Amino acid sequence: MQGSGAARTQPFIEDVAVGQELPVVVRNASRVQLFLYSAATWNPHRIHYDVDYARFEGHPDVIVHGPLQGAWLSQYVTDWAGPRGRILGLSWQNRASALPELDYEFRGRVTAVEGDVVSLDVWEQTPEGAVLMPGQATVRLPNRS
Amino acid sequence: MTIDQGAAGAAPPSLIPAHTMALVGSVLRGPVTAEITAKEAQRYAQAVGDLNPVYFDEAAARAAGHDGLVAPPTFVQYALVQGRPIEETRTDGLFQGDIPLDLAVQRTMFGGEEWDFLAPVLVGDRITAETRLAALDQKEGSKGPFVRITRETTYRNQAGDVVARTRQIGIAR
Repeated sequence: MQGSGAARTQPFIEDVAVGQELPVVVRNASRVQLFLYSAATWNPHRIHYDVDYARFEGHPDVIVHGPLQGAWLSQYVTDWAGPRGRILGLSWQNRASALPELDYEFRGRVTAVEGDVVSLDVWEQTPEGAVLMPGQATVRLPNRS
Repeated sequence: MTIDQGAAGAAPPSLIPAHTMALVGSVLRGPVTAEITAKEAQRYAQAVGDLNPVYFDEAAARAAGHDGLVAPPTFVQYALVQGRPIEETRTDGLFQGDIPLDLAVQRTMFGGEEWDFLAPVLVGDRITAETRLAALDQKEGSKGPFVRITRETTYRNQAGDVVARTRQIGIAR
């Protein structure tokens, strides 16, 4: 599974600077994952498991749930913030559909540091650089002292 | 609840009937209450692929400064989803809307979300959610006019403290 095996390190507010880039994380949803996410969220929408129906609605295949990509974005932020970091806010726009069995990159950049709160631009893109889901996040980080 | 009507000339036809605009500010759903359970929160985390120990290991959660097992931040909205009979689904599989918004549009798509996380949601919390129609904004897009629907849900814990707010954006055209 992507994104969950990395060592959990703790960044401190003193170590963060505007312009700093977050490490890239690649996610890739299997069809089984789409099914489990539909089940765990009680979501019966056919575009996530019924290929014929998804094509009837004009999609090339079943599509990845927008909120699943939002949850990936949330995880991207909380994984970076570490065990003692706290996510305070997160927003995202779903601009384009994502498909199963394809790689998508999660990227981020520090846009502001005020007190112990860090603002981030975070987004999901194709490996070619097309942004599917732009977003912003704010997190509180611990002090080193 | 502004309506962008373009820079000049005649206003484009409104996609929002007056009786629908009158619903802005009203409660669409709730209040509903549910307990946060470890099983459901962990199934959600596993389905997302987020195996953060603070969701699975109470000692890890306490070491991270929490008062017990934590739920993934975005899980709370699914803890409040109430089961419905299959007979209440539509052709596309979705459940029929609780209160359909009458708009002069063909389809509505998920546009995104905005979250405020005010306090971690813990396993064992009893969360009460209420959803309001926060805004209906008609916009001019490259593919013609559309309506931006903002539904805001407030989540309170058993102490009455707001633990999270979310604004879900729907795009109807």
